Amino acid sequence: MRLPRLASVAAGAALLAALAVRAGTAATPTQTFVYATPTQVMVGWDPATSYSNEIIAMSNVYETLTHYDPVTKRAKPALATRFSSNKEGTAWTFVLRRGVTFHTGRPLTAQAAKAAIERTMKLHQGAAYVWDSVKSISTPNASTLVFHLKYAAPLDLIAAADYAAYIYDVHAAPASKLAAWFNQGRDAGTGPFTVDFWHKGQEVELRLKAYPRYWAGWTEPHYRAIEYWVVPSVTTMAQLARAGNVTFTEQLNPQLWESFKSSTSVSTTSSPSWQNLLALLNTKSGPLADRRIRQAISYAVDYKGLIAAMTGSATRQIGVVPPGLWGHFDSLPGQYDTNPSKAKALLQAAGYGPGGKKLTLTLTNTQGVAYEELFATLLKSNLAALNVDLRIRTMAWPTQWAKAKSSDPAQRQDIFLFVWWPDYADPYSWFVNLFKTEKQPFYNLAYYSNPKLDALMRQAERSAASQRDKAVQLYKTMQSMLLHDAPVIPAFVTVYQRTLAKGVSGYVDNPAYPNVVYAYDLRPPA
Amino acid sequence: MTYFFARRVGLGLLVVAGVVVLTFVIARVIPGDPASSWVGPHASAAQLRDARHTLGLDRPLPIQLWRFVRGVLDGDWGMSIHTHQPVLSDLATRAPASLELVTAALLLALALGILAGLVAARWRGRPLDVLVRLTSVFGVSMPSFWFALILQLVFFQTLHALPVSGEYDPALDTTHPLAVHTHAPLLDALVTANWPVLGSAVSHLILPMLVVAAYPGGVIARMVRASVLDTLGEEHVRMVRALGFHERTVFARFALKPSLNPVISVTALVFAYSLTNTFLVEAIFDWPGLGSYAADAIQSLDTPAIVGVTLFVALVYVAANLAVDLAQAVLDPRIRLR
Amino acid sequence: MTELVTSEVRLMPTSSLLRTVRANPLLGVAAALGLTLVLLALLAPVLAPHPGDAGTATHPLDTFLPPSADHLFGTDPVGRDMFTRVLYGARVSLAVSAVVISLSILIGLPVGVVAGTLGGIADTVLMRITDIFLAFPALLLALALVAVLGPSVTNATIAITITWWPWYARLARGQAASVAGRPFVVACRVLGLSPARTIIRHVLPNSLTPVIVQASADVGGVILTSAALSFLGLGAQDPTPEWGLMVNQGQAYLTTQWWLVTFPGSAILITALAFNLLGDGLRDMLDPRTRARQP
Repeated sequence: MRLPRLASVAAGAALLAALAVRAGTAATPTQTFVYATPTQVMVGWDPATSYSNEIIAMSNVYETLTHYDPVTKRAKPALATRFSSNKEGTAWTFVLRRGVTFHTGRPLTAQAAKAAIERTMKLHQGAAYVWDSVKSISTPNASTLVFHLKYAAPLDLIAAADYAAYIYDVHAAPASKLAAWFNQGRDAGTGPFTVDFWHKGQEVELRLKAYPRYWAGWTEPHYRAIEYWVVPSVTTMAQLARAGNVTFTEQLNPQLWESFKSSTSVSTTSSPSWQNLLALLNTKSGPLADRRIRQAISYAVDYKGLIAAMTGSATRQIGVVPPGLWGHFDSLPGQYDTNPSKAKALLQAAGYGPGGKKLTLTLTNTQGVAYEELFATLLKSNLAALNVDLRIRTMAWPTQWAKAKSSDPAQRQDIFLFVWWPDYADPYSWFVNLFKTEKQPFYNLAYYSNPKLDALMRQAERSAASQRDKAVQLYKTMQSMLLHDAPVIPAFVTVYQRTLAKGVSGYVDNPAYPNVVYAYDLRPPA
Repeated sequence: MTYFFARRVGLGLLVVAGVVVLTFVIARVIPGDPASSWVGPHASAAQLRDARHTLGLDRPLPIQLWRFVRGVLDGDWGMSIHTHQPVLSDLATRAPASLELVTAALLLALALGILAGLVAARWRGRPLDVLVRLTSVFGVSMPSFWFALILQLVFFQTLHALPVSGEYDPALDTTHPLAVHTHAPLLDALVTANWPVLGSAVSHLILPMLVVAAYPGGVIARMVRASVLDTLGEEHVRMVRALGFHERTVFARFALKPSLNPVISVTALVFAYSLTNTFLVEAIFDWPGLGSYAADAIQSLDTPAIVGVTLFVALVYVAANLAVDLAQAVLDPRIRLR
Repeated sequence: MTELVTSEVRLMPTSSLLRTVRANPLLGVAAALGLTLVLLALLAPVLAPHPGDAGTATHPLDTFLPPSADHLFGTDPVGRDMFTRVLYGARVSLAVSAVVISLSILIGLPVGVVAGTLGGIADTVLMRITDIFLAFPALLLALALVAVLGPSVTNATIAITITWWPWYARLARGQAASVAGRPFVVACRVLGLSPARTIIRHVLPNSLTPVIVQASADVGGVILTSAALSFLGLGAQDPTPEWGLMVNQGQAYLTTQWWLVTFPGSAILITALAFNLLGDGLRDMLDPRTRARQP
């Protein structure tokens, strides 16, 4: 190889590159809403079993019977125009809206809605357990659905659930082929948008386009398309937002989010969520079976420092029900505040603490959730001062969960760290999933068993629809019981920090539908 | 020569077999229940049982190995747990993007590295030599994402000259949709004569290519420099100089060729290594390649996908080595005779 | 006849050591830099202003502070002093590099040289074994190790070593193979020298060049590999102060809190630079053919 030949090859490459640079980038059409998310959007396409990130897209393609209104804290009409229950709360009637069609062309009828919900219930995956109270569904006429329940339940809230409550056309494909049909990237919803294309694994993973026959019409100025961009790197996402290539970022980090406060083209939003970080303490085996040690740890946590370190992306929470959801209380009898001397006294009473035996605890947390690591690091530091060695094991969710469910109690962790949020707007979700007695551990990973609590939570759910005040008082009692027994440390509630292009109006961050942007409700900049 | 080639192919297949068995053993060591990851959180016991059967987990280990090997030969590389797609189809979708990026980067690294190494050896001890050595050290020790972010900040945010992420401009999806054949946008655009996408793909390739080329470029430059300096001290070069050949000819014809020996070995190694180790760069540039697929598979303990990626990389490595062996045999006749 | 057979490698007498340094000032700088780094690593507990910050101490009210007199390199997301952590990080990162590279050479060099010199079956068997290890992505091996033993710096070191030694074996083998073809080695065999003696006294020293170059470049490479492992949760865990881990943790804050990446990143760069230049100088000393010549 001679040098001159090398040089000419290099020159040719440089020329090609220079030409390419001028190929330029076309601007995104202004009627397209671009949503930037850090992880893959469509994990599952089947509306009956969907239980993951695809909610951000599915919520624009599918609709539910009712919808949760965070202002009134009640369910409001969506596909159902009216809904009511009998006095006991065991029979619910929904009257359907007229003139609604599925994207497949067929009209929405009571029979179609019934078929969708029954299929969801039958498959019993994802969040389908929310329908467990339903005994049967009847359709007296083409516009009316009646649910007959085994026991009283707030079906108006359940029908507004963020998963498992979509109404879809079960006749889009033959029954045995329906799941496969969905997974090819197809939808059978009633919502304002329908699938344009799906480029799995690409940066622009999904594009939705307006459904012309949407029942609410397109007379106002609306976005006509939504694009979902998967951007794993927050710094790249921030650059895209700054340059105007994306309209909305789902999550940056608090520091990057702060840097947009001074921007002239991008606005920032901050609103409370119902997602809380919980540390479940092993009440069944290991050193934490001793209530004094659980209480000691509850006193040892530096709550103020934790919130300070979260720099605005989290707020303190008392009890397990997050602020903004009914059943929340800003203060409860027996609540824990940072008190190292009380922690020390309790540990010493149990034989540990400074000067006593060294206590070793294992904490497991989920890989990829940055603030879980922050909490674990700070807790380790707080406990080190009390002669407690906290071993932190970060794992992928399936591994973390499998370990917690091991049949051998010696394999289980002492502290299980994860994030919980409700499937419908009801505090019952925390209690029935996390604290109800389980023969085999599922989500009750504090392995907590309290028959009195089990009975109370059943009562609360049955009063939720018809006797809301009674239910609220029951949740106060239940949360106090949890404080007393200390099977859980609620670390904080996350605050949603988003960026949105300036000039876009109508955006409401609804905690009942995490990370969802209803593009139809927005007005593009003029 | 044919015997040489055939022998090399046979040995290569032996290596692949070794990797297959080793991979299978390691895959069984990785904890986590693939069946429960497959069906998701709220599955019933019956659904779990079905999943175990579908995934073949209820058979004894030697049977599982046999089914695994047979599957690999048949083209059934299992189902990825985190994408719910056949692993082979995942590889077919993700590998071309990585191959495109790594090939382009290595060509650049070779071109610049060899040039820089020659220049440094020629003007040894002078400022140019020092510059080359400092730059190549930066290349091998600069964290790749740091370099990537700096390039993004300079060329996208400040100069607005190059794009920040992605394989090509997404707006072209509506105006000049790309027909997907190989899943490597550059090739697909070339083959379908889609010029706007081709131009866009080239401009999107520049920054990631620079980042991936940094490490091998640095290694190659240093290696060429050292190797050329070595060769220059040998008798045949002294003789050639004594015979009156021009210094440039001495370099290009007599010193460079034997110096390329270790360079070519290293390039093959770096090629296979870079296919999966670029996951940080892929994350920053939103490049849907094998590296990020492997990283996702590792983080979700998706054993079939991890196994699939390992096998694929091993195959690429064996193929690259074959090419290297051939190239070395052509360049250095002494090797052919052994 | 005897002149042709004489080994081409001879160690230099010490008086010319000073001459070499004066002729190559960069070598002097590199050596001084390397020595300083090692000293800093050893003296870290004494020099660090907040030694607890290299352990479990946290200061959540002092997070993300920019560099100042009290915190020369600023503080990190949990308020720890970055200067302390970078100093302690030298201990971890230098130790990992030293162990990986020396073990890799100890294993890989003999394997490669023997294979390259002997040829035939020994070569084939040894190189196929090497190939199997080379074909294995380091990530997978680290994952398996970590799955069984748990994530830590030690296990990451073992994992990296297992995938690193084959590079040296291959490099050494390539070099040894071409050295073995040279006239003076053939002459050794003709003269009846035992293969072992041929290898140790003649082939080995002449195969060192690419290995030394690679080793000096690898100091930075090893640190970056352990950074990649810790990114995936397979290596050093918080609160261990490891440069690569710190660089990863600071990645998302590059545009807002630049000091989190810049100081550990620069530490990696400077360390790699020092050892690269040191490697160059060592090679110049050991191989007389590359001593400064007038072209």
